[in-house]
Amino acid sequence: MAEKVILGVEWIPGTGDFIKVVEESCNGCGDCVRVCLAKCFGLRRKKAYVKSLDNCFECAACWFVCLEDAIDFSWPNGGTGFRTEFG
Amino acid sequence: MERYDVIVIGAGFGGPVAAKKCADAGLHTLIVEKSQIPGDKVISGTYIPATAFMMGPSWIREGNPPLERAAYGVKIHFVKGAEIYLSLRMTLPSPVAYGAYCRPMCTWLAEQAVKAGAELRTSTTAADVIKERDWVKGIVTDEGEELRSEVVIDSEGLINLLAIKAGIRRKYIPEAIELCIEYDFAMANADIEEIFENHIEFHFAMPEEKLIAPLGQGSVVYLFPYRNSLHTCIGQFLKHEGKVADTSKLLDTYYQTYFNTRRWKEVIGPKTKLRAKMWDTCPLYVGLFPEMHEMPRCGNGIILIGDAAGFEDTSTGAGIPNAWFSADLAADVAIEAIKAGDTSAAFLHRYDERWQAHPAILPSITDWGRRNLLKAQQDESLMVKLAWEQWFAPIASFVPTLTQIRPEDLAALLPKV
Repeated sequence: MAEKVILGVEWIPGTGDFIKVVEESCNGCGDCVRVCLAKCFGLRRKKAYVKSLDNCFECAACWFVCLEDAIDFSWPNGGTGFRTEFG
Repeated sequence: MERYDVIVIGAGFGGPVAAKKCADAGLHTLIVEKSQIPGDKVISGTYIPATAFMMGPSWIREGNPPLERAAYGVKIHFVKGAEIYLSLRMTLPSPVAYGAYCRPMCTWLAEQAVKAGAELRTSTTAADVIKERDWVKGIVTDEGEELRSEVVIDSEGLINLLAIKAGIRRKYIPEAIELCIEYDFAMANADIEEIFENHIEFHFAMPEEKLIAPLGQGSVVYLFPYRNSLHTCIGQFLKHEGKVADTSKLLDTYYQTYFNTRRWKEVIGPKTKLRAKMWDTCPLYVGLFPEMHEMPRCGNGIILIGDAAGFEDTSTGAGIPNAWFSADLAADVAIEAIKAGDTSAAFLHRYDERWQAHPAILPSITDWGRRNLLKAQQDESLMVKLAWEQWFAPIASFVPTLTQIRPEDLAALLPKV
């Protein structure tokens, strides 16, 4: 289970599944796992999958790094997801 | 269905500046912002170079923005083991940059746009563009609402989903994108004054120290002091020469190394209390790669500004000055286009002529000051020379301009803190 609290940041629920792995495009390289600081991704049966978006900072590092365009990145629903006053 | 003259995407740094100018010109203007509060999701540093205020819209410097403090110079430290073995310092008689928190700054900017008559819709994500053939005619919100516009000014930032959907940009490559971890610490003002002496600090080290990413492949350790707090930042590019960086391990390693240096352990650290850990990507090298630099920045019915247009400074990583400059230019062009009844790409192309002619934008997005550090991986004295060139030379080049301005005139070009 992802750590729900990171200091100074809160997550507003209701995001929806705003990051998805497009399985048919994924080649299991693990680059998304490598770059994600929130540990949102895992690998199983040679495909990436989203474990949890609980601590996602919507930085899109996963989206940028995937050359197969297998990361379907969109924004969480308006007004949801992470926020901080310390940025 | 709602119709606007201009829809601005994003109430970050650039969006509200464009929206205010459009609203001041009497245009029916809307800003859509995905967060609940402007700046909620903006993680940026940040120290805003003085040039942003001097060359940007006068209402920003004159309007008493919520700035934290002024920096009068820069210190660069070189680290080996746990010690700083060399420090360089450049100090000017007037501020070189101003520290700010993003949320109060973006909130303040958005308020100015609203006071000018722009409508602001928060918690509203622009999920898609309305396209008729090849023409952007508005946006669709994440609730499915269609909002029509004559011109969309896209200030959505580096994750430019809308510009991609509009067909005028592609996703940036990971070699141009950096991932940075930023910590926020509470720290007493008296300690900040004593330790930092109104300077921001950068720490360099050879790659084997594991203090920072290999030279030119990330951001060195930044210390940005505020009034009662401090930001630290370290970054690493997502990919270099075909290899994806294990950022989830590396960035923590670099921070561990930094927090073990004697100055942090004995001098700074004990006076701080950790308040936040955050991270974000930044499009630092976008301007240096031709395939991205040459992508269009306008289309039929749409103009891009700020990070969405690839206007981040390729050496310092500053995004705010160019966001303000490009916002100003984009608003002018939108106003002219709507008056002329022509929002075609051909008409809007004058935006490209103007940003390219702007004295600050093009030089800053083609600056090799940071990327040159790639050459110094095994050459310590080259590292020192290039660090000087990256941070001190631009400030030094500013000095002749400063000395030609009378002190009272200079004060009028800078904000009060």
